[in-house]
Amino acid sequence: MVPLLRRAGLLALALALATRARDAPRPLASTVEAKDGRLLATLDLAPAFPQDLKRVLSNGLSNVIVLHVALVPEHGDEPVALYGREVDVLYDVWEESYTVTVKDPSNPRGLSRSFRDYEELHAFLAEARAIDLGSAAELGSKSWVLRTRIELNPVSRELLDRTREFIANPAAGGRGGAPSRSVLGAMASYLLRGAEPGAEVARFESAPFTAREVSTP
Amino acid sequence: MTAPSDRAPEPPAAGPARRRRRPRLTPSRFELKIAGALVLAAVVPLAAALWLARTLTEENLAVALNPRVVARLEATPALYGDLFQARKQLYAEQARTLLGELPQNPARLKAFLAAAVERTPRLRRAALLDGGGAVLYEAEASGPNPDGEWRPATAGPVAVPDPARHGLPAGAALECTFAVEARFFADLSEARDLAEVYHSAEALRADIQRSYVRAFAVLLGAWALAAGLAGALLARRTTARLGDLLRAVRQLAKGNLSVQVEAGSARDEVAGLARAFNAMVREVRESRDRIVYLEKISGWQEVARRLAHEIKNPLTPIQLAFQQLEARYPSRPADPEFARLLADAGDIVREEIGTLKRLVEEFSSFAQLPEVRLEPAELNLFLEEFVRTSPQLGEEAELLLERGPDCPVALDRALMRRVLTNLIRNAIAASRPARARLHLSVARLEEHARFTVADEGPGVPAELRERIFDPYFTTRHEGTGLGLAIVKKIVLQHGGEIAVSARPGGGASFALELPLAAHEAPTAREE
Repeated sequence: MVPLLRRAGLLALALALATRARDAPRPLASTVEAKDGRLLATLDLAPAFPQDLKRVLSNGLSNVIVLHVALVPEHGDEPVALYGREVDVLYDVWEESYTVTVKDPSNPRGLSRSFRDYEELHAFLAEARAIDLGSAAELGSKSWVLRTRIELNPVSRELLDRTREFIANPAAGGRGGAPSRSVLGAMASYLLRGAEPGAEVARFESAPFTAREVSTP
Repeated sequence: MTAPSDRAPEPPAAGPARRRRRPRLTPSRFELKIAGALVLAAVVPLAAALWLARTLTEENLAVALNPRVVARLEATPALYGDLFQARKQLYAEQARTLLGELPQNPARLKAFLAAAVERTPRLRRAALLDGGGAVLYEAEASGPNPDGEWRPATAGPVAVPDPARHGLPAGAALECTFAVEARFFADLSEARDLAEVYHSAEALRADIQRSYVRAFAVLLGAWALAAGLAGALLARRTTARLGDLLRAVRQLAKGNLSVQVEAGSARDEVAGLARAFNAMVREVRESRDRIVYLEKISGWQEVARRLAHEIKNPLTPIQLAFQQLEARYPSRPADPEFARLLADAGDIVREEIGTLKRLVEEFSSFAQLPEVRLEPAELNLFLEEFVRTSPQLGEEAELLLERGPDCPVALDRALMRRVLTNLIRNAIAASRPARARLHLSVARLEEHARFTVADEGPGVPAELRERIFDPYFTTRHEGTGLGLAIVKKIVLQHGGEIAVSARPGGGASFALELPLAAHEAPTAREE
């Protein structure tokens, strides 16, 4: 019995390690500079995007790319700075152009740009510039890393609400406003409110850096 | 014993079984069993339904969120893109065609443009521009777009080759504005919304399925809970009534024959059981009362017999002795005063002996009541015969007979005549000094025949009605108190009942109930 238990424990440990290895963040190319006392990062996000990104972004549907950046000590998990950015991309099939809306702490209502060419769009998306990670003085003498999480097309809160309404009232065809006609659907919709759907998630981690390695303009 | 089931139910007696129920917080075992059975009966099929719901949800989602459907939906905007591309190419081609047909005469350019707008489908405006974009000639559709709401799609400006040939300045170009149906854009927006929701639902498929199963489980749980509560409530109603019955049975076991339970208006088995219990207790009580009464009468009969014997024996010697005393005394007495005293004493002795003899006769009569010998009779006919053959009663009272439906009964004619005679004489005595006016009536109940003897006298006070049938109880100076006792005994021996009440309008009313012969073949009641 004991060897069997030991064997099972070893198997579970091996599975956990394998999972951890699979989920391990990929290296992130980044530069960090201090400007006006603020720590600004520029990230190369190109490895995060799938090969068929052009097909995805040109499908005429709303596509969302969510970027989370955390400044954490090299040997620790408690971030000292967090940054979030949501990029909405919509290809207008009539105008044949990409409309991009970027929302971040500096522009919570969104800043829109338009790209007629996919290459321009890809270049814009692949390089995340001027990511504000707070005061440069926070760095001190420690060694730090940037941990990045990129989600492609997560189900947004607004889309989740539309989906819940669609479940609660299938007859309304996904457009809100009509009262629910399904008791079971309404209850399922209510229970769905806390759903956290998986998305295509890519994790990256930069090379360690210290305050001395931060460039200044 | 005949159950008095045709009577109105007696009001429930006060007692532990009749106490107001206090709501219990802790369920009884019976309630728990019923509630548990209902919950089990609800949950077992519901568990199967839950499994079915899970399967159905999975299959429905597999159908509704078929990857091919989602893929087709997601491809819809691209299809609109292709449509728009085709339209743009068409419009560009049409603009080039117009350009090739431009007239060389500048004076005809405006008319040409107007004709082009008129004949070219969806062309809303055509304009010739100079190199700086200023309009040289233009024509615009005046009427509404045949396809309804529209959005402009501009083709060009397309440079005019060899503009001088058409009298146009260098750099001139043709710009055409075509109409694109606005519904395309609305449909595109709708399709995009739907595709995005389907895409989201596809991403949330596992969560949606889980939500549906949980929602179904919540509904099923609520249903099972409701079933359990309903079962507990139903069980509580039943168990409370059974509890009342149990307490009443315990009271009965302790000898409380006045206990009754509330049967209520329900028609179920428990209510039937309560009614049967009440009827049984009533029968037991009446039977006990009858037995007790008959035993008591029997005892009094023995007393009456001994009294009659003890009183009767010395009466004759006393009478003879006094007669001898009177006979020895000379007819011409020496002492006239003694002679008068002797005569007065003789009168007193004879009167008192006469009274004692009547008393002895009544005691003997009471003590020697014969056994009841039942024979079939019709109550109305019996009463009519009694009135007809009792002229002496008719002389003393006015007898009013109210005939009722046929009531076949079994009775001892002689004893029942005695019953009627006693009741009527009692009424005549009660009505004195007025002449008695008596109402004799017959009524047929469900299982009994009732005849009533009512007078218009002073009536019987309510507090005396319980004792009026006791032997030797009388309110009259000259009465012996045996008449009504004899009546009751005879009635009980017939398997009947007698009760006294107030007559509406004044007087006393004695109601006798005898079992109908059709329902029971009565046998004489033994003392």
